[in-house]
Amino acid sequence: MSPLRAETRLFLRSGRNLFAVILLLVLASAAVWSGLAQVDAQRTTIERVEREQARDLASVEAAQAGPEGDAGYNAYYAFMLTQDPPPALAFAAIGQRDLQPFVLRVRALGLEAQRYDSENYNAELALPGVFDWAFVLVYLAPLVIIALAHDMVTGEREAGRLRLLLSLPGSGLWRRRIGLRYVLVLAALAAPLMTGSVIAGAPATGTAGIILAGALYCAFWFGLALLIGAALRASATAAAAMIGCWIVLTLVIPTLGNTVIAGAIPAGKGIDLTLAQREAVHKGWDIPKEETFEPFFVNHPEWRGKEKFEGRFHWKWYYAMHQVGDETVEQEVADYRGALAARDKWTSRLGLILPGVGTMNVVHRLADTDSTAGFAYQDSIAAYHERLRKFYYPYMFNDKAFTRADFAQIPRYTSRVPGGSIPAGSLVALLLAAALFLWLGARKVTRVSSAQDSRPKDD
Amino acid sequence: MSPVCLIARDEWRALLRNRAGLLASGLLVLLVLVASFTSLERRAAIEADRERYQASVDEQFDQQPDRHPHRMVHYGQFVFRPIAPLAFFDTGVDSYTGNTIFLEGHRQNSANFAEARQSSLLMRFGQLTPAFVLQTLAPLLLIFLGFASISRERERGTLRLMAAQGVAARQVMLGKLLAHGVIALIIGLPAFLVLSGFAATGAAGWATVLPMIAGYAAWLLLWAVLSVVVSGLFHRSRDALAILIGVWMVGVILLPRVLPVMAEQRTQLDTNIETEIALHRKLADIGDSHDPEDPYFNDFREQVLDEYGVESIEDLPVQYAGLVSIEGERLTTGIYADSAARSSARENAQNALVHDFSIISPLIAIRQLSMTLAGSDLASHYDFLQQTEAFRYNFVQRLNRMQAELIPGIGGEDPRISAEYWQEIPRFHYQAPSPFSRPSDLIWPAAVLLGWLVALSALAAWASNRLERNLR
Repeated sequence: MSPLRAETRLFLRSGRNLFAVILLLVLASAAVWSGLAQVDAQRTTIERVEREQARDLASVEAAQAGPEGDAGYNAYYAFMLTQDPPPALAFAAIGQRDLQPFVLRVRALGLEAQRYDSENYNAELALPGVFDWAFVLVYLAPLVIIALAHDMVTGEREAGRLRLLLSLPGSGLWRRRIGLRYVLVLAALAAPLMTGSVIAGAPATGTAGIILAGALYCAFWFGLALLIGAALRASATAAAAMIGCWIVLTLVIPTLGNTVIAGAIPAGKGIDLTLAQREAVHKGWDIPKEETFEPFFVNHPEWRGKEKFEGRFHWKWYYAMHQVGDETVEQEVADYRGALAARDKWTSRLGLILPGVGTMNVVHRLADTDSTAGFAYQDSIAAYHERLRKFYYPYMFNDKAFTRADFAQIPRYTSRVPGGSIPAGSLVALLLAAALFLWLGARKVTRVSSAQDSRPKDD
Repeated sequence: MSPVCLIARDEWRALLRNRAGLLASGLLVLLVLVASFTSLERRAAIEADRERYQASVDEQFDQQPDRHPHRMVHYGQFVFRPIAPLAFFDTGVDSYTGNTIFLEGHRQNSANFAEARQSSLLMRFGQLTPAFVLQTLAPLLLIFLGFASISRERERGTLRLMAAQGVAARQVMLGKLLAHGVIALIIGLPAFLVLSGFAATGAAGWATVLPMIAGYAAWLLLWAVLSVVVSGLFHRSRDALAILIGVWMVGVILLPRVLPVMAEQRTQLDTNIETEIALHRKLADIGDSHDPEDPYFNDFREQVLDEYGVESIEDLPVQYAGLVSIEGERLTTGIYADSAARSSARENAQNALVHDFSIISPLIAIRQLSMTLAGSDLASHYDFLQQTEAFRYNFVQRLNRMQAELIPGIGGEDPRISAEYWQEIPRFHYQAPSPFSRPSDLIWPAAVLLGWLVALSALAAWASNRLERNLR
């Protein structure tokens, strides 16, 4: 019998080991199923909203677009839908998609008063965090690894076999043991993920990237388990020490980090810009019309000379006023985005030294469900909003009737292309952490072997 | 000294020798203190921010120039939800709900700028508050301190020795329970002192602080008792540890995340977009005030004319358009109220499903109890939304009435009323709801925690009987 086969039989004979691996497989499968269900629910919601939106637009068209139609009225009543359908890999890592709106309606009025609106979600359900494959990987897989690996050395010592094992000829005992456990853990994680990817039609490279991140993360934990397991004498102490590491690495430091980052980088600019934008827009009603048109022409010189109108109200002035309101708060908008981006950047930096956070970042970047994805959706809404209002300007500034034919020409939002990418830096950091701890663990185990453990057994 | 006390004293001595246990307990206490202070600071900053914003928007409202009242309906008012005093201890859903709303006529806007939406993924690892430390981490510490309490004696044979000396297994069990129960309370003590100190300064009432302390004491005792009982049920410490960690993992980490998925699958929420569209459709079904042939608004006109005893709109002493605005606002607000009620009923149904599982995962019970007492639960958020909606209706109608009553006396191309009238418009004054206004939110979780303690006590009795039999 080959040594590996013997090792496998030994492993399978232990009820606890078998239970741990099967548990991980079940949890990963449940998480994939749950992720697919959540993604499916988001798609269904988008379809439902699209149907309602089509009916709503049809009624606006009937009421506003015609031979006498006024583009200004139409632009006021025609809300346009933007949507951010879940990327194919979202099922594995849902990220912030349960909180961030994935549907938002905008109209040609000031964007800044519209783009931060929230969607309906149940805050109490969101509170504990999402249940998806990424959660199983980052939180639960280490516990399974601890269960499998904490007593590889101490268990043999407690059973009185350690000296015998060390005296056996040939090397690679620990390598075989670790390797076998590592492959089984990885298989229990990867098989459900790959099945989910096939069901969701996800790209193979993204899936492979996520599995690579998972493999490195698991390697880090096996390394840590070897290190601690070889350094301590009793299995129970080793298990306790490893659980302690798990608590510190996945619960304590991330929450501390979040507190520090949120405290150091305040995000109050969002409220500031909303308030400033309201003042700017409403002031427009109380100042001479030229004072609105002049700043408007700075970025829209093509309409200079067409601003004159009879009476107190004209839509061209109204929409110019809203645009000027947006432009007044440009700096605050940039600051607000800057603050959110800085929070994200510091999270990435924390991920460089903290494998759990790093894995979270890598997996969500590959799945395109992180803050970067949220920013991209926001930017695509802003770009669409610009197209939308520029579509209406010629009708208003040239006093052109808005007919049904024109209604059909209203630009529609096209969803952004999911932009999952490989965060090389974080992945390299993860690789280094995994390599470092595997090396440290291996070194420690070799020392145990060469030290010819001769001390009497104690607990 | 009775054998029970002796056994307890012995256990404390053993634990004092356990350096890793002492270190872990020290770290947990440190963490509670760090969490308390950062959380207090954070709460103070949030409170100051929201107060400052509220004062500045109220002042800006006063400073608006002479205007047509309808302009002020759309200028609207921003309101900020003051943060509850005890939210420093348990942030609850506060970071997940928007805390500022823009209130204007005809529209019900969403509460925006929730902290969770402005944070990176890191937020989802949890927020460092004393509640997080007590709910999530303290049970693990109690497990580590207690998993070997009885099984160790059994493994070393000291249990048999005690039996030979005439100590009953029941007394061993009681002694260990006493030892670990006291330790659980000592571990909770720093947090309880912070809470008491907070109450002593008058920042929070004892009526909420004492039940909060009682709730967490029950929660910590529960884990201490569970650890000792499981330790008494298994021959090997390792097995006891594995079982306890498993219970913690499922009850504290896994179930709270899995249950929401089930709840969302069972009950789905409408999006705001659908609500908006449905609202416009319903309004269109009621009538169109611009259509001279519209039956609903023709009836309304007749009613108004009757009321004022005049023949035509021109003879009215008030502006008819203003009255139509009042009626329109009444209709929209009614429809919004219906959909808000439907939406919160659905959310409540989702949460009720999760709460039902608190019998299996008592974390859900302590979480609910804690959030409710801290005033950071979802019900408090609904209450805030209801208050803002009532306020919105009130101030918009005040402005509409100003339009109806004052504009006819002004006339002209661009009728405006004096800015002095803006002072008469009410400002939002938030009334924090009492946590005791919804007793079921407190009684049910408290009953679950007590039920667990009772059930565990019964299990302890059974375990000591079994121990007794094994030793004879």
